[in-house]
This record gives sequence, structure tokens and C-alpha cells, in this order.
Amino acid sequence: MLRFTLERLVGMIVTMVLVSMMVFLIMEIPPGDYADRYAFRKYSGTGIAITEADIEAIRHDFGLDKPMVLRYVDWIGNIVLHGDFGQAFAFETDVIKVIGDKAWLTMAILFGTLLLTYLVSIPIGIYAAVRRASAADYGLTIFSYLGLALPNFLLALIMLYFANLRFGADIGGLFSAGMADASWSFAKVWDLIKHLWLPAFVLAWSAVAYQIQTIRATMSDELNKLSVTAARARGVPETRLLIKYPARLAINPVVSTIGFDVNRIFSELPIVAVVLGLTELGELLLNAYLDLDMYVAGAILLMLTFVIVVMNFISDILLAWLDPRIKLGNN
Amino acid sequence: MLKVENLSISFRTDEGLITPVEDISFEVRPGHTLGIVGESGSGKSISTKAVMQLLPGNGIISKEAKILYTDKSGKVMDINKLGKKGRAIRAIRGGEIGMIFQEPMASFSPVYTIGNQMVETIRLHRNVGRKDARRIAIGMLDKVGISNPEARIDQYPHEMSGGMRQRAMIALALSAGPALLIADEPTTALDVTIQAQVLDLMRNLQRDLSMGMIFITHDLGVISHIADDVAVMYLGTIVERGPTDKVIHEPAHPYTQGLIKALPSVDRLHDRLTPIPGDIPSPNERPTGCPFHTRCSKTIVGLCDRHQPQILQVGEDHTVRCFLHEKQGRATA
Amino acid sequence: MTDMIENRVLSGSSGKVRKESAKAHKKRLKYYSASQWTLIWWRFRRHRAAMVAATVLLLMALLGAFAEFVAPYGPTSRDTKYLDGAPQIPLFCDQNGCSWRPFVHGVTTKRDPVTLRAISVPDPDKRVYLTFLAEGEKTDLLGFIPTSTHLFLLDDKRAKLHLWGTDDLGRDVFSRTIYATRTSLSIGVIGVLISFVLALVIGGVAGYAGGWVDNVIQRVTEVIRVVPIIPLYMGLAAAMPKEWSTTEVYFAMTLILGLFGWPTLARRIRSQLLSIRSEDYVIAARLAGARPLRIISQHMLPSFTSFIIVDLVISFPYMILSETALSFVGLGLRPPTVSWGVLLQQAQSVRVIEQTPWLFIPAVFVVLAVLAFTVVGDGLRDAADPYSDVR
Repeated sequence: MLRFTLERLVGMIVTMVLVSMMVFLIMEIPPGDYADRYAFRKYSGTGIAITEADIEAIRHDFGLDKPMVLRYVDWIGNIVLHGDFGQAFAFETDVIKVIGDKAWLTMAILFGTLLLTYLVSIPIGIYAAVRRASAADYGLTIFSYLGLALPNFLLALIMLYFANLRFGADIGGLFSAGMADASWSFAKVWDLIKHLWLPAFVLAWSAVAYQIQTIRATMSDELNKLSVTAARARGVPETRLLIKYPARLAINPVVSTIGFDVNRIFSELPIVAVVLGLTELGELLLNAYLDLDMYVAGAILLMLTFVIVVMNFISDILLAWLDPRIKLGNN
Repeated sequence: MLKVENLSISFRTDEGLITPVEDISFEVRPGHTLGIVGESGSGKSISTKAVMQLLPGNGIISKEAKILYTDKSGKVMDINKLGKKGRAIRAIRGGEIGMIFQEPMASFSPVYTIGNQMVETIRLHRNVGRKDARRIAIGMLDKVGISNPEARIDQYPHEMSGGMRQRAMIALALSAGPALLIADEPTTALDVTIQAQVLDLMRNLQRDLSMGMIFITHDLGVISHIADDVAVMYLGTIVERGPTDKVIHEPAHPYTQGLIKALPSVDRLHDRLTPIPGDIPSPNERPTGCPFHTRCSKTIVGLCDRHQPQILQVGEDHTVRCFLHEKQGRATA
Repeated sequence: MTDMIENRVLSGSSGKVRKESAKAHKKRLKYYSASQWTLIWWRFRRHRAAMVAATVLLLMALLGAFAEFVAPYGPTSRDTKYLDGAPQIPLFCDQNGCSWRPFVHGVTTKRDPVTLRAISVPDPDKRVYLTFLAEGEKTDLLGFIPTSTHLFLLDDKRAKLHLWGTDDLGRDVFSRTIYATRTSLSIGVIGVLISFVLALVIGGVAGYAGGWVDNVIQRVTEVIRVVPIIPLYMGLAAAMPKEWSTTEVYFAMTLILGLFGWPTLARRIRSQLLSIRSEDYVIAARLAGARPLRIISQHMLPSFTSFIIVDLVISFPYMILSETALSFVGLGLRPPTVSWGVLLQQAQSVRVIEQTPWLFIPAVFVVLAVLAFTVVGDGLRDAADPYSDVR
């Protein structure tokens, strides 16, 4: 188990290094560089004429005249060693300050969504497999098709519309009007939870549709296994049999796809954030892209991917713990 | 101890109702072994699954069938009336009748230890605590010849070799102390040498525990080693039934005769084997009349392909379903 | 000979003798001699939902292809007399009686008594009739055939028909949606094609070469699979220079979508190649002296082309949804190009649902297209499964 964990850990680090290279490349693609944009933003409208030499000076100050490889090493080195993600020029402050507790809000949305996804999809998927070809099963199939086809921003708008009809104006966003700028307190956390269900619902929608299909399929397979008949032949009561034998194994594909779900949620986050007016990393990322504030964008992309990689790692370990065949296969 | 009468099994399928087992009767005597021989598709596995009420959802046991079982306390019950669910049938499954399957790997759940699954079964049928159940399980593993059972009990199925796993499967089936053991081709998936070991083990266990046993196989050679009585199945009917000695040495049905001729033997190394011509038809295309007439060398045209033969007595406890014995035998049904 | 066939006796399950008719026998022969693709087509044809979905897709493709003919107006032409106008539904009857020709009511401009804004209201006494195959705006059919014939227009050339209403600039939602259908579907097609070629090359190399090449490719694939895809697309789309023309942006978008769509398919091709490489029938072909190219084309590819096609069909929805999402937030295609996502940019708030819900009509197209592709994909997957029986 220890060796298995170490192997996965090394794999995770290698992946992260490659990811950071890709992210850095994306940060480099937009035409012009940080110095251009810095100079433009700082001096445009001030009437001060800037020359190529001024920009060159800025470039030198920020170390932007070094070769790309060195700049990458500087960038990643500062992140790993000092937790310094660089400068956010649109805000003229550190990236880390811009991000602030938006990272925690994002994690709250993520875990709220995951929780909702699994609480809904696991029991329903199992139920659909046990009651195959029933009306409920067909209903679920139609639902999951819709889950795949309905663009999340549309769902968000529809939800927002009905929520407005039902609850009045104070819906959407992550906090009530007065709470957003308040310091953290129990009341604020409670306020967050009260607002979290809407984004969690919208983001969980397609994940639930996927997972129900997966669980239903594996559960159907497992139900036909000889081990289930064998357990029944030993007199194990039906409900206990379902839970202990097929359902226990049908959970495995769910665990192994946690990373995928996180990926899907983060992928949809910026767009849902726009519609629902969420103030978290997705929204910040989108604005950073629109402003070409690439240090902020890069930092967020790196953070999101890091969370996905960590969740992948956790899912690997969980799976090895759940399925004794895996860790032995690796030893 | 188990008496099955007029058992027919049907399945609802997309192509309509198919009936892979039609009107079979057999009996297991206490402390004796009944061997059921037949090719794949002859309905031997389904018949024993029906005895345990383990048919899939679309399987139907005929209403007139009787599956009479005498339990350990001497009470006689008709399993066909117990249904697929409920306390009564669960008490029989595992507790009264144990079952082992062809593939030990697939019949264990891969995510629980051998011990976990044994303790579960023991505690379901015997009123004992976890510790006692574990002690019983270790004792049973020891009995089936697994060395170092105290350590083996905490292993997962994939950590054992094929033969070891089949031993563990036997131990699992026996752990709740059933009076009857149904073994569905338990040695087919094993190497020949291990096959012999497992056969020996099963014969000894059956004797020691004085269990009744149903042993299903397609191998007549195996039957002659282990069974007291034998029933030969072809396409869902029992074509011949009787004491093993009689059936092997004086086979009455052309199908049984064919099976014996097709059996390779060390003392007939240079003789050619005589296989039975043709293939076993699929159960939904069962021939009319005697099901074997399409492959039989002694078919009486106009009789065998038109009419179903009766069950005829050809010796003490020896019956056959064939027109060739019409004169010497008397109809028993 | 036919007599023999007709009288062939089959044994039935009921125990009664069943005769096979000559017709049934012919059908059976046809079944046994049908090619793989014919069989797939037969099985697919029986999948009713998939056939409906395929028809929907075909219809959409035709609408998109002949947008210049179907749409009465260009995607950017404005009707300043009818801003934020409601859909006009052709009628046959109104308070003044019925007519055999469909008509709509003419529009008059009034001033809103409260806000004093100019608003357009239908005048129930003014009828404007529809004409079909009429001459109207000059366009180029399929982009190069000059034409001015449109499927339908209004009789009165000064008035315009807005089947699905107009947006805040008075542009016809129906025409724009039809043009957008072409853009969105074509982006999907090109994107899928690019990722297909990449997947074939990358997966093929990994699966055929194995060893360290495979290892490196697997690592890279892993990296692309682990980064959240829409934020990744966004990053690349954001980098497109502002001064690029709409055509350049269009092709850059297809490239971006195609460039990262390959990992799933590449993985599939790789693992299929790896597992088939050691199959007995491939080894047999090799031992029989077949050349590598022949082995790949005759023995290896046919065993999983059907799966690849299914995967391709299933990857369409992702392309369409990605394009829609990117354009929706303003990082994808840019006006004046119209795509479903660009059109939906105008429908970002709850206010739109309340006041001009017809701006959501393009969303219906998105949902329909994604559903149809998914259902067709599922139908194809079932049909391509050699173990599902057609008879």
C-alpha cells in the first residue's frame, strides 16, 4: 500500500510539472506581454507618452527580457517556494491577494456539488438497476438524456427564473446583500450554505445524469454475477445481499471517476458563475481572460488543475482501499 | 431426503416461452450421492437451481412439480410452495442445502475475505457469536485440507490458487452444516491432478458428514468415482436413471451407450473413439417425439420422431425412457 | 430446389412441425450474406428513437446548408420598425374573415403612453400576405451561387416577416438562427474531424509503437485530460488577437476545439490496437505472411471502426456545447458571425426570459442537436454491437 501510494504521488508530481508547463505556455500565447499591458494600463489617459524604451525598462524590471525557460523557472519557483503567483496588473496587487478567499468559496461550491451528486445519483442508480425496464427506469433514462443535453447556463437561467418567481429577488450570488463584505462568522457561513444549493444544483445536474448511467450499468452487471447467486444460495437476505455484494462493487466506478466529476464541475464553473453572479475563481478566471490578466488566469488554472490532480490521487487511494485486488496487482 | 417429481422449467423470453427442462423426476437418498450427467444445455444446472429457488426472474417452475425435502429435524416440505423470497427458503439455502459452483473465483465476492463470507453464512444459520463463527470457519477450512487455516481465513479469494479456492468454496458451502450438498461441475475448471484431489475430498467429506449430495458433471468418468446413483439428462429430460454400476455397465439408453463409447480410456489407447454424431439441438428447437431421435443410430422411423417414449423399468431401480425397451420393460409412469 | 427449400422441416419448440416459407428463407439467406455495414444499418433502422434523431439532424444540416434560401433575410439586416418584436405567427383567419393564403398583421408604430418610447404593435386590420419562393435580398447560395430567391417572404416588400420575432436591433431571430445552425454544426464537424485525425495519428503511434513512445504520449494525454477543458479552451480563445477577422476567428475556434478533443478517442484507439495486436487471428495473419499494412487495414481496423464512428458521433455534443459556452461568455466567435452561442449572448439574464423569451429559440436548437447526436450515438452503438441480433 505504501509503495502504491508513493508511486501515485510521484505520478501526480510529474503530471503537475507538465501541467504547469502547459499553463505557462497558455499564459505566453496572447500577443504582447505583461510589460506592454502594464504600460498601457498605467499610462493610457494620463497624457504621458511612452516609448519603446520605457516598456523595455519595465520589461527588465519584471525580468521579462529573460529567455522563456528562465521565466518559467522563476514563475514556478516563486509559486512552489514562496506561494507567490506573481502580479495581477488589473488590480495592481499580488495575484494571491486578488484570489483571497475566493479559493475557499470555490472549494465550498465544489464539495457541495459533489455531495449533492453522490447523494442523489448513487441510490437512484442502484434503484434503476434493480428495477430495470420499469417506468421509473425509463423516466430516469429520459432525465439523464436531458442532463447531458441542457447547456448548464440555460439550466442556470431557468433555475434563476423560477427561484425569482418563488423566493423573490434575493437569490443567486453566494451571499445575501449585507453579508458579502462581512467578516467570517457563523452567520456568514450559514448564509453561504443557504445560497449554495442553487449553484450546486446546476453544477450537479449533468454529473448526476452521468453517474446514474454509470452506476445503473455496473450495478446491472454486478447483479448478474455468480457471486450474487452464490450468496443468495447461502441464504443471505435480499436487502443485505444487494448492499453487501453488488452495490458495494457498483460504488467503485463512482470512486474512480471523482476526478472526472471535479473536472466537469470546474469546467462548467466560469459559465454558471456568470449567470448566477457567483464571486469565485471561475468568475475571476473568466474576467482575467477577458482582461488578458494572464498571471491571475494562470494561477487559477493551475489551482483548479491541482485540485483535480489531488482528487484523482485521493480517488486512486480510495479505490485501492475499496478494492483489495488493485493494490496487490501493483505489488 | 430430496424427492423431485414432474419438474418442468420454462423461461419467458422475447421469442416466447421456452422449456429447457421437461417433466423430470429424481431422488437423493440420505447419505448417498446422485450424479447428474449431461452435455451443456441439457438442463442439469437449471434443475438444481430450481431446487434452491434460484432461477432468474423470468424462470417459471411448473405448478404440478413437487420438490419434497426432508429437513434435519425430519419435517417434510415442498420447496416449490415456498417461493423465491422469505424466511423459509432462506433457511434452506445454505443451512439445509449447500451449493458449490463451477467457478470458485466468480462465486466468491472479490472484495471480502474468505473468512468474512464464511462467518456471514455461519451466523445466518447458526445461533453463534462472531468469535465462535470464526472458530467454526477455521475448523471447516482445516477439514477441507487448507493448511494454516488461521492465516488463510483472512485472505482474499484472488490470493489463493485455483484448487485452494475450490476447497475454500466447499468449506464455505459446508460452513453452515447443510444436510445436502449440490455441486455444480465443481471440478471442471481445475487441472486434472487437482480434480482428483477435490473429488477425493468431496467423497470423504460426504462420508464423514453423512450428507446427501447431488453431483453435476458432463464427465461419466467422474460419475463412476463419486456417485451411488446416476441420472443421465438429454435436452431437458432424464433419459436413464439407476444405480451407477448398472448404468455404466449395462447402459440401456442409446445416448448413455454413446456417452460411454465416447469416453477415452487408458486401456483402449489404440482404439478410435466413437463420438455421438451431431450437435445437441438448442432447447427452443427441441425435436418432436424422443428428443434424441435426431442423433440416435437406432431410431425407429415413424415412432421415435412422433411419440414421446414412456419411462420404463429395466432393472431394480433402473429406468429408461426409450422405445427399444418397450417389450422387456413395464411402464412405471 | 425451391421445393426442397420450401419443404424443409424445422422442428418447432411447441413440438409441432413448422415449415419455412420461401420468403423467410430468402430473408435468412440475405441476413447471412449481408456485410457488416448492411447489418449495422438494418439494426440501426429498427431503433426508432435513433431514426427520429437522425432525421432531425439531417433536417438541421439541410437548413444550415441552404440558409440563404431558407432564411428570408440576412443575419445582420435590421428592421428598425420592429425592435424587440414578438414572433409573428402566420394566420389563415382573423376577425375580418378567412383567406386561403397565410398572412400576418401589419405593424404600426405607436408611442407608449407611459414611457413615451416608440413601440411596435400589430394592426389587426392590416393584412400582409406571405408568398413562397419569392425574390428578395440578393445572397450567395452555399456561399457561391448568386440567388435572390427565398423560401418565403411577405407580399409587401416594405414589410418584413419575423416568424420568431426580432432582437433589440430589429434583426430577424429566425434568419439568424438558421445561419447560426450552419456555423455551429460546421464548427462541430470540422472540430470533430481535426480531433479524429489527431486521435488516429497519436493513438495509432502509441498503440503500434508501444514502449517509451507510448509512455510519453500517455503522459501528455493525461495532462490534457486533467486540465478542466472549458477554462483551457477559454485561455486559448482569449489569446486570439482582437483584430482578427471573423473568418480567422472561426478557423481558430475549430482548431482550438479540435486540438484538445482527441485524448478520449486516442486512448480508445491505442488500447484497441494494443489488445488486438496479440489476438490469435492477427498472429495467424502475420504467420500467413501478410504485410503490416494489410494486417492493419484488413484485420485490425475493421474490428473497431464501428466503435470509432460511435465515439465520433458522441463527441459532437461536446464540440457544440463547448462552442456555445465559449461564445456565450464572449470568448468564442464574435459578432457579426452568428452561431447559437453568439445568439444566446443576448439571453444572459432573467429579464430576457420575462420580456423577450423568443431570444431563447437558439437554445432549443442546441438542446435538440445535442440530444439528437446523443441518441444517434446510442443507436449506432447498439447497432454496431455484433452480438445484438437483428432478426
